This record gives sequence, structure tokens and C-alpha cells, in this order.
Amino acid sequence: MTPAAAPLIEGRDLTRQFPMAAGAVTALNHASIRIEAAEYVAITGPSGCGKSTLLHLLGCVDQPSSGSLTFEGRDVARLNETERSRIRLTRIGFVFQRFFLLPMLTAWENVELPQAEAGVSRSERRSRTRELLEYVGLADRLDHRPSQLSGGEMQRVAIARALANRPALLLADEPTGELDEITGDQIADLFDRVHADGTAIVVVTHNATVAARAGRRLAMKSGRIVEG
Amino acid sequence: MTAWGLAWRTVISNPARAVLAMIGVAVIGALLFNMLLLSRGMLVSFRDLLDSAGYDIRVTGQGSALHRVPIADATSLADAIRQLPGVQQVALIRTDDASAFVAGRDRSPVIIAFVGTTANAVGSAWDLVKGASLQEHPIPSDPPEIIVNVNLAQEFHLEPGSELRLRISAPGSASAMPPVTYRVAGIGNARFESVDEYAATTTLAGFDAAHGGEGHDAAEIVLIASRPGVSASENVAAIDRLRPGLRAMSNDQVLEQFNEHAFTYFRQISTVLSALTLAFAFLLVATLLTISVNQRLGEVAALRALGFSRRRIATNLLCESALLVGVGGLTALPLGGVLAIWLDRILRHMPGVPERIHFFVFEPRTVVLHAALMAATGILAALYPIWLAARLPIAATLRSEIVS
Repeated sequence: MTPAAAPLIEGRDLTRQFPMAAGAVTALNHASIRIEAAEYVAITGPSGCGKSTLLHLLGCVDQPSSGSLTFEGRDVARLNETERSRIRLTRIGFVFQRFFLLPMLTAWENVELPQAEAGVSRSERRSRTRELLEYVGLADRLDHRPSQLSGGEMQRVAIARALANRPALLLADEPTGELDEITGDQIADLFDRVHADGTAIVVVTHNATVAARAGRRLAMKSGRIVEG
Repeated sequence: MTAWGLAWRTVISNPARAVLAMIGVAVIGALLFNMLLLSRGMLVSFRDLLDSAGYDIRVTGQGSALHRVPIADATSLADAIRQLPGVQQVALIRTDDASAFVAGRDRSPVIIAFVGTTANAVGSAWDLVKGASLQEHPIPSDPPEIIVNVNLAQEFHLEPGSELRLRISAPGSASAMPPVTYRVAGIGNARFESVDEYAATTTLAGFDAAHGGEGHDAAEIVLIASRPGVSASENVAAIDRLRPGLRAMSNDQVLEQFNEHAFTYFRQISTVLSALTLAFAFLLVATLLTISVNQRLGEVAALRALGFSRRRIATNLLCESALLVGVGGLTALPLGGVLAIWLDRILRHMPGVPERIHFFVFEPRTVVLHAALMAATGILAALYPIWLAARLPIAATLRSEIVS
């Protein structure tokens, strides 16, 4: 009997509480989740149910109040801030609802920036950036700044940026939340391609169409994963 | 993209704010540069003035700066000093006030600073613009020669060869001294004269003539030039041994005394104003950077979520601060230079201040000090915004950015 392959990321019994003046608020309540490599998971649920909190824990940008989280077999709680930053930079990609592109940089520079931070050589950065912007259909928008792009184009640049360092896991928090339906579908198509190319995706969404494309759907309610 | 490149793009992404910040830093930096120039300028200028006279030791009688007793038996003292092995040259200086006028001209007399000196000292104390210096051995029957400053020459339309009459003034009363006629040998500028001062110098014999021909054999100051390779302090010690009751001081000692007493006020004012200007620069840059960071919290949190380290975020902010302070600080130098020239011109017109004394004197070390202080200010100003950005809770900030 062979042992089961290690998951890409696994959270066990994750709880996240936020101290408030009126008492601690539990945003995530003993949630457990396991994401395999190249898996496509959608997390749905009403506002305030803890979806984004779970995503932030999976992305190593926040730490659970209790429970354990392992990424590629490493206990995240044992990593220092520099090591967590390194994992985020090289192994995890983030796509935000509001894109958060740097407004003073062009599409090209926004995509190139994380690669430069990761120490990728100039020539490699150049070919990777071109490849990514062509991949997201923005080969003709290389020198455009975010203010010169539409919402859908900005999100595509953000996806290219998230993929810049070839992450194993792409996390997306309401990626179509600021987009119209048609543009949202285009972004969902892009996620399908990213997944097909072997990247695991966890997407938090209210959009049923986007969620329907995932291989696995998790529903959350009051800080718990109630269906999956 | 390097941290500098990203910082530059961030700074110029808001050109109005960047320009205002840089102008603000430039103006503050210019004031700081002025204060730094002022903090040593007068000292450096005074040193140059002392050294330019060609003598490195001054001997005076006892007393205060306002009333100093003339040195008695000045000639024998000068001869004795001249015999010292380390001494190259000795000059006697006598000073008095005199009223000057031209016979037959309907023009009121003016009070002048009247100096009697050995002829060899004239060249080092005066820059002649017209005529000749005093003769070493004038013909006794001729009127004594005199050199007048340009102000006096213009007042009475004097030219070399003109005659000028002088009467020694008695402070607070009419002088009983008869006027004496002098022949103008040359016109020039005395190194220690103030802007609107009238001054004239003659030989010791000419000076005695104005005092009724009586040689008092006294001097207010004895100037000594040391031989090359001989330190002034050695000669000062030797002179102290020759005539213990006198005050012999090297230029260094004069300067030290000036630094400790008269100049200390300038230094204190300069220090206080420098500290204030630095505080303004700090507040300006810290405020602008803090506002800038607060406006970009979402961006910063997103960069951190994407894996940018705290150090990288801090470096970016430090570079932004350095750019604002650097560009502003560089602009401050020419701006401060022009301001210094203008202020120097105003201050040099103060009554009683030698025209050759400058209050603002450029020195390379001032530029280095200015750069160091501005750099330190830039770093300090960036500390709080850096702390703000580096300690940012990523998840909470992303959440609040979405909610807002």
C-alpha cells in the first residue's frame, strides 16, 4: 500500500478570531480544508461567512488563532515572516477583487515586478512577461497604465502578475466582483486555462457561473465549511 | 525595476505633490545652507582678513577692547622684537580720529580714522587704486604724504598730489591742535575699513606732525611677521618675555578669542535656526510620506500579499524620501547661494564692520555637512511611514480596502 501524496495545502481545524471591544468575533470556526496540486476549488457563501478569512490563511497573509496549516508539507506556523513572504512570492499567486495594480507602472512593469523581486534574470523576465501578457490576451496593451485599461483588462494584468513566478497555487478573492457578466465570463475562461495548465486554484466568489467551473465547490456559513 | 526606479515612478505619479514637496525642501534646505554658511563664515573671513595683512602676531597694551593703553617706548620694543631670531618684520601702528578738510573749499570737515604706521606696513594693509605708496624716506621740507581711502577721495574730489588738511579730534570738545597739510600720495581701500568709513594713513612722522610734531614714541598695535618655518606661538612666548606687561597674540589666538566671545552669538543663533529648519524639513517630508502611504495602504498590502518583503517596502519608502530630500536639497544649494550673497551684502553695510568681512563664506565642508544633515533628515522623516507600511496587517488592510 503506497502512502497518499502530500496535499498542496492543508488546513486542519482552523479558527480565526478577531478581538473587538465587545468581545472576540469568530470569523472562521474549526474549518478544515485540503487542496491538492492542480485542483480547482471554489468557495462560496454569504458575505461575512469567513470565505476571505480562509483565503487569507491559505495565502499565508494571516495566521490562525488555532489549528494548523501546512503548505507543500511545511508547517506555516513555524515559518518566519521572511519565509512566508518567500512562499507568497514564489509559490502562491494572489488575485484581488480590486486588482491592486500599481497605477504608476505599465501592464508590462506590473507583471515584471514580482519576478524582479524574486531575482529572476532580466532576459528571463522579459520573455516571461511577454508570454504572460500574450497568454491573458493583452499583447497590444503592454505599455498601458492601469488607468488606460478597462476593468477586465486590469484583472487580466493582475492574473498575469499573479502567475509571474509560476506559482503552484492561485488564490482569487472575488475576481469578478467588480466586472460585468461578460467580462466576468472571460476571466472565468482564463482561470480554466490556468487550471488546465496545471496550477491549483482556490477562488472565493459569489458568482455561481465562476463557481460552477471549479472541480470542487465548498460552501461556507458562519465561519464553517458546511458543504463540499 | 530597482527600488530607486519604483520610488521615482511613485514620486512623479503625483507631480503636483512632488513639485510642492521638492520646492518646500529646497526653500528649507536653502535656509539651512545659509545657517551653515553663517555658522562659520565670519570666522573664516576674519581669519583671511588677518592673514592677508601679512602679519601673524599682534601686540597691544593692556586694557579692554574699548580702551586700550598705548604701548610706551614703542620704537625700542620694535627694535627688540626685530632682534628676535624668529621675526622677519615689525610694524608700528598708531591710530586716532581726525577731522579732514580741504583749504578754501566750502565743504564741512569729516571725521576720519587716521592711522600712522611704518611705511612697509602700508602695502599689506592697503590696496592702492591710484597713485603711489608712502615713501620710505620722504623729503623733510615737503608736506607729509598720506594715503586716503576712496570714500574720502570722493568726498573731497582728491587726486594724487592734492592737499588735504587734518586736525586731530578731541572727543567731546573742540580740538586745540593746529591743522596740518598733507599731500595725497595714493588712493586706495584699507583692508579693515567699513563701507562708509573715511580713512587715511601716513607715516609715523606724518602722524606725529598732526600731533604737534611731538614724538610720543607710543603705538596702539605692534604687528609682527614671523620668519617662514617659525611658529607664531614661539615668537609670542619670546615677546612675552621681552615685555611681560603687554598682550601678544598670534592670529590663531585672536581668532580663538573671537570665536569664544564675539562669534559665539552667531554660532548659537545659527545652531538654533539650523535645528528649526531641519525640524521643518523633517515635518514636511514625514507628513507627505505618511499621507502618501495612507493613500496607498491597499497597494502596500497587495504588494506584501504578493510576497514583497518588509525590507523591500521600507527600501522603497526610504528611496522616495531620499528623492524628495535629494532633489530639494540639491536645488537648495544654488538657491541658498544666491540668498547668501544677498544677505551678505546687507550685513556688510552694517556700521563699523570691515567691508572685507563676509558673514556667509562658502566652504566645501559646508556642502558636505548640508548633505549629511539633509540625508539624516530624509532617513528620520521616512521612519514613521516605513513603520506604518512595514507593520501593516495585510489581511485586515485588504479586507478594509474592499469594504471601503
